[in-house]
Amino acid sequence: MTQKVNIMDKHAMIKRAEDLVGTIEDLPTIPVVATQVLLLLDKPEVRIEEVADLMLTDQVMTARVMKMVNSPVFKPSHEITSLRLALVYLGLKHIREVALTTSLIDAFGSDTGNFDISAFWEHSFGVGMVSKIIAGKIGYNDIEKAYIGGIIHDLGVVFLSQYQREEFQAILDSIKDKPIKLVDAEIERMGTTHCEIGLCMARKWNFPEAYCELISYHHAPTEATIDPVLCAIVNLSDLFCSVRGLNYGGMEWVSFNLVEEEAWQILRKAAPNLANLDVERFCYELDDAIPDVKALVSSIFNSYEQAVD
Amino acid sequence: MPISDNDFIQLRDFIYNICGMYFHTTKKYFLESRLARRMEVTGTKSHPEYYQLLRSPRGAEELKYLMDEITTNETYFFRNVPQLTALETKLLPEIVETKNKMGFRKLRIWSAGSSSGEEAYTMSMMLLEKRSTLLKDWIIEIVGTDINETVISQAKEGIYNAYSVRNIPDVYKRKYIKEENGKFLLSPEVKKFVTFNKLNLYEDSKMIFMKSFDFIFCANVLIYFDTASKSKVVQHFYNNLQPYGYFFVGQSESLHGVNDKFKTVHFPGGFTYKK
Repeated sequence: MTQKVNIMDKHAMIKRAEDLVGTIEDLPTIPVVATQVLLLLDKPEVRIEEVADLMLTDQVMTARVMKMVNSPVFKPSHEITSLRLALVYLGLKHIREVALTTSLIDAFGSDTGNFDISAFWEHSFGVGMVSKIIAGKIGYNDIEKAYIGGIIHDLGVVFLSQYQREEFQAILDSIKDKPIKLVDAEIERMGTTHCEIGLCMARKWNFPEAYCELISYHHAPTEATIDPVLCAIVNLSDLFCSVRGLNYGGMEWVSFNLVEEEAWQILRKAAPNLANLDVERFCYELDDAIPDVKALVSSIFNSYEQAVD
Repeated sequence: MPISDNDFIQLRDFIYNICGMYFHTTKKYFLESRLARRMEVTGTKSHPEYYQLLRSPRGAEELKYLMDEITTNETYFFRNVPQLTALETKLLPEIVETKNKMGFRKLRIWSAGSSSGEEAYTMSMMLLEKRSTLLKDWIIEIVGTDINETVISQAKEGIYNAYSVRNIPDVYKRKYIKEENGKFLLSPEVKKFVTFNKLNLYEDSKMIFMKSFDFIFCANVLIYFDTASKSKVVQHFYNNLQPYGYFFVGQSESLHGVNDKFKTVHFPGGFTYKK
């Protein structure tokens, strides 16, 4: 019965999110070159050179791909100096995802809403990085997917911050320094959350289903059906980043008892060895990695400015 | 002497594995300067050589000296702000609610290794602020224990220097601290909730009488114990807590591999152990 009510609520929340997203006429679009890259990648027998030639027509995207591939988060053994080599390093499978991510920065790069946009990207890339680490620890089959999933999980938050500024600010004010979950405050005030809003945007942009589900269920991984493990990875990474300084400058006061978290239980089931994780050290190492994440975000934005100049 | 990244990681891992204290990369230069003092005293010429000394039969003793340098043995009021914020925001209201339901309006807090009393009195000030709201009509008992009688006398006296009180928020300072001739005196109301006693954490026969605490704090003490003693002492702390109680260690400390019964509860800037 509870499950049924939840599903019905979810439908109502998605409907409400569709209405909200539908009212925005100037919703950002993915840049033309990114769309072309995505189309090209759909062709069978596509060659890396073709993709590189197309990408090189967009200096901003090229600069960002280079910055991302060479960042401490991706950690190549040597610096990668050409776009072609960067694409070879990433592999065709992952170029799509990098193109998508760098485009998202374009879509939301310049505008600032309720918080500093770099704080948003620091959280997003932080969750991406931690997702990648957790995916590695549990032997998840597509580490890059976990990374990208981490980066895009909070798309709905940027939408709210930019297009529902007053309402979202009121929500943030109502939870400031209180142990109240953002999603609960969102439901109370808006009848929907950043998860459903992100889902609507992801659908508009034709994201693959697994990513749509991830955005929709990154706070409720047990309700996912396509890839609950992916949702659990990103959920847990989100929690860890939120308590270790990658939390939008304290937007939400997050607290959690690890063993009681759904995500932890899903991951423990998928990888029993996770029980041996030194959680304390994991947190301290995450603190140490924060400057890397901030440097990555700052370098991506600087490359944007340089390319624009 | 600048410490190389490799030597830093090697020493950091060694200290973490033996003492349960993590050195963040941002504290590399701090560690470097403290190591320099110990290297001078021990006559070791390089970081790898000092690392070998730590691993030698004389290592256990040397590690204690190094930890003394690192922790500086000094403490101050409102030292661990994320911990205090978590207490105020969530953990204290949660325990008050649980105990209210049971009709048991008494709060017991233990500062283990209380030194000159700053941690215990910080709790006292924080709880005093809630006397007219959350903790109205509650009995509050704060116990500070230490093995060193000199620091216990200092704690009982409740007179501090400028260094100790520098982090106290103004709103507390105005109410609870009086300055006299460059010294800072605690008000009697802060002192009245707190008692200090001598206690050796190794002494099982005494430890079993420390009962029914809601919160236990033990910062920068367990890092001096070997793993077996640490496990024994932490098990005592576990037993001494109420079923819903919390155990706090210092910033950068870890109980990983010491006790598998405690659960980690995370909050912005830190974590605590829940029974």
